[in-house]
Amino acid sequence: MEKELYFKGHKSCPGCGPAIAIRNLLAGLGEDIIVSLATGCMEVTSTKYPNSTWNVPLIHSLFENTPAVASGVSRALKHEKKKGVSVCVGGDGGIYDIGFGALSGAMERNEDMVCICYDNECYANCLSRSTLIMTEHGIKKIMEIKEGDKIYAFNQKTYRPILKKCTGVFDNGEKPVFELETSHHSIKATSNHPFLILKRNGRGKQNTLIWKTLAKINIGDEVVVLKNLEIAESFRFKNIRLSKKGDYKVNKINFISIPEKSSPELMEYLGMYVGDGWCRIKKAETGFALPEKSKERKRLIWLHSRIFKNRVSRTDSNYLYINSVNLARFIDSMGFGHGAKNKTIPEWVFTIPKEEKKAFVRGLVSTDGYKVENSFRFVSSSRDLLNRLRLLLQTMNYRVGKIHWRKTKKGTKIVYRNLLEDTEGGYICFSEKKEWNIKKYPSQYTYQNFLIRNQYFEMEKVKYKKLIGTEPTLDLRVEGEHNFIADGIVVHNTGVQRSGATPFLASTTTSPAEVGGKHEWKKNVAFIATAHAVPYSATASIGFLPDFEKKLKKAKAMTGFRFIVVHAPCFLSWRFPNNQTVGVARSAVECGLWNLFEIENGLFKFTYSPAELKPVEPYLKLQGRYKHISAEGTNEIQEHAKRVREELKKLEESKINFQYFL
Amino acid sequence: MKKIMEGSIAVAHVTALCRPGVIAAYPITPSTHIPEELSRIQPQYGYEFVDVESELSAISALIGASAAGSRTFTATSSQGLLLMHEALHNAAGMRLPLVMAVANRAVSAPINIWNDWQDSLSQRDTGWIQLYCKNNQETVDTLIQAFKIAEASLIPTMVCFDGFFLTHEISPLEIPSQEEVDSFLPKFSPASSLDIGNPLTFGAFVSPEHYQGLKEMQQEDLLSSVKTIKEVAAEFEKKFKRKQFPFVEEYCTEDADYLFATMGSLAENAERAVDSLREKKEKVGLLRIKCFRPFPGKEIAGVLEGRKGIAVIEKDLSLGNEGILANEIKAALCGVSEKKKPSLLDVICGLGGKDVPLKVIANLYQDLKKNRCGTIWV
Repeated sequence: MEKELYFKGHKSCPGCGPAIAIRNLLAGLGEDIIVSLATGCMEVTSTKYPNSTWNVPLIHSLFENTPAVASGVSRALKHEKKKGVSVCVGGDGGIYDIGFGALSGAMERNEDMVCICYDNECYANCLSRSTLIMTEHGIKKIMEIKEGDKIYAFNQKTYRPILKKCTGVFDNGEKPVFELETSHHSIKATSNHPFLILKRNGRGKQNTLIWKTLAKINIGDEVVVLKNLEIAESFRFKNIRLSKKGDYKVNKINFISIPEKSSPELMEYLGMYVGDGWCRIKKAETGFALPEKSKERKRLIWLHSRIFKNRVSRTDSNYLYINSVNLARFIDSMGFGHGAKNKTIPEWVFTIPKEEKKAFVRGLVSTDGYKVENSFRFVSSSRDLLNRLRLLLQTMNYRVGKIHWRKTKKGTKIVYRNLLEDTEGGYICFSEKKEWNIKKYPSQYTYQNFLIRNQYFEMEKVKYKKLIGTEPTLDLRVEGEHNFIADGIVVHNTGVQRSGATPFLASTTTSPAEVGGKHEWKKNVAFIATAHAVPYSATASIGFLPDFEKKLKKAKAMTGFRFIVVHAPCFLSWRFPNNQTVGVARSAVECGLWNLFEIENGLFKFTYSPAELKPVEPYLKLQGRYKHISAEGTNEIQEHAKRVREELKKLEESKINFQYFL
Repeated sequence: MKKIMEGSIAVAHVTALCRPGVIAAYPITPSTHIPEELSRIQPQYGYEFVDVESELSAISALIGASAAGSRTFTATSSQGLLLMHEALHNAAGMRLPLVMAVANRAVSAPINIWNDWQDSLSQRDTGWIQLYCKNNQETVDTLIQAFKIAEASLIPTMVCFDGFFLTHEISPLEIPSQEEVDSFLPKFSPASSLDIGNPLTFGAFVSPEHYQGLKEMQQEDLLSSVKTIKEVAAEFEKKFKRKQFPFVEEYCTEDADYLFATMGSLAENAERAVDSLREKKEKVGLLRIKCFRPFPGKEIAGVLEGRKGIAVIEKDLSLGNEGILANEIKAALCGVSEKKKPSLLDVICGLGGKDVPLKVIANLYQDLKKNRCGTIWV
């Protein structure tokens, strides 16, 4: 490549097939071209104002008119006697489907242009960046998830949580985001993100769970949410560096015994710390704001001596202090954060046994909470803390209300005093769930809650959804199950809508696995072009780049309408690991599901033909979109691949000239 | 030189004189004669003529051609214009100076091929300049100006003239010579175009932080294009010695208590109706709106202020509300004090080519004198 024509900085995924196609088509065609680009993933990811990835002149007009725009460019170049070749680039939507009328017109007029279609069948979707994901090590922000992390997913056969490896994290750019709220959960996601929904099949029939995109979810639909997740192991703390007498500037040391792992008592102590405590390593001080004679102070003093084998150093009417550098270090290392607004619950708290979690919540409530009849209310000025506490309570089978957040303006009078600054704060309410008597009313309860007997998941009705604005979004890919638990709700990791180019039996969100995938074969657009008697029509693949380059160079040198359709796998929607894009493209050709040929001046010719076709099964097995197909389905595809190859061979030998069929 | 010509043929010939680079069109009644004539005389003038397969492709080809640096033209009507709708927004947003002749025709359903203004008035929010002509002389004069206005302001321009009433009317017309047109209309040389020496991206993807700002700029430029329209009309008037009315035309308005307001070829009928009423010493006049986008609200309010009543005679309808023109004029009168505000009668007529005889217009005067308000159908 002499000069880079497709700059760095475009927003497509690592391992994106279409991006490989675009970069190579530019390299193959050279810089004396003018590109007309259809709306689509390659347009959105490469032309975000005020930047552009394209180092050649480019015009993007609409989704369905690109071949017509390119005709206009071609005619203008001719009339103004300007140099350059008009090139039309679009995806399978813009060329095969919605843009087909404009394509057919341009081919019939034999406009002087090169038209390249990247064939990928891809629409990606994503979650909001602030979403919290349930992982092996507790809860994590979606931004912090890395490839290889183990994530909890919903096993669609056993209806139990299962640990699965994350195989990819994708930045999907800024998109409109909706908020979906159920009785006890809420999540932010884009409108095309799929959720697991209960489908009621009528009286006497087994109900089923299906995937539905957010846009199609109605108020009252029941979604699968997490109820209880018991990983049940006390957390072992990492060794921290402890100061001892004789260290630099350490003259005396307050001896303290540091526990190795979490326990109910320690968790209650830490709960009280999150509510009313602080620690400063430099001052070797840990403190709690607990007033004299309060029940809580008494309890803390007892807990402290029991856990740390140590005494509280100093007390006054409002506070108590512990002067120990090692205790301050220990508490600091656990990641609860500092300052009322920045306190949080670290991820490991999500992994400890229920008993310890309960003790933690008890500690929290005893300091910053209060009881209203049977429910508890916890108040905090840290939004993150409330968010995470809500999720923590959800994993403990509690009923949790939404976060009530309010801002108080400067100058508002609170207990005879004026507020000096604007403040924000919120609270959540929660209570323990009463067990339902399933034995007494089995069918009624099962009707109300499809997953009533399930220990881990349950159904909740959607209360409302609304648009909350545009936010940066991310998406995850999970091996095997293709779902994960986000903000306590089971969501699907990726979606794709059916196009005319989607192959037989492949599943998409609009031709889902539940109905057996797509029932029609793929449109053969290269032959459709040939039926217009265009001088050149060819297929290519990003798995065979030298072949693609040769075709590009040949097409560029000709005049009239030249058409190339390049097979460019989208790992996100085909559901395979993103380091195998080129390999998948290659095996499609080697098993005969994508044939490399050209039809020049009406004569068909293979440009690459494997001596023997490989079986299609490994190719299909590699992709999640074929996961649902049966042995008969595989056979049918296998037979199809063989038959197509034989017929094409006959065609090549026959020397039939398509140009004479007009 | 005066020639006897059909409206459509005259539009085709004058367009060719403007030296367009690329013309793309798809036939639709009543604009069909324009592309027919343009393809017949193509060898004489050497422009590229693209026989596209739909109106959407016609305007799309123009978008590509205009971005690549060619002067472009198309003609259409009714359903064809509606099929272009998406691309109309697109061309205006990309600031491409396309010029289009619209032979106004009713919109389906029920299907009808005769004249009203529903097709182009439905496109009023697409960001195009819209000029409505009263006769064929004005149509050809406006067409020459339209290229200059569009290219100076980088805003696409529609020249609207009534289907059949004007497109198929044969009349003596002043057709300028090639030299005259050349001396008025310079060669099209846009500041930026698709060029392999200077790789630019047209039609980028814009996120929320920029989108509104860009739309605001587009609106500002469309509003301030009134200056260009005025200047171009003045220059044309000086050169071709024919009176031009860039925004509104007044007829017998000096002492008129009551006014008719209308657009397009209906204005000629209204003039005759005013004549007949004036013979009976009735103080009545006519206000014709030529430029509909950008809307000359100030000029209109200036003319209407202090009159006793006006009747807005229009061949269009905003279904679910009232006549489009009446609606816009009401909004323009917003700043006029209550005392000086005339009563406004909205007259919906002539939809789908229904005849509007002189007598009907003259009779409206009786309603006007009673200061009737609201919407009536005649």
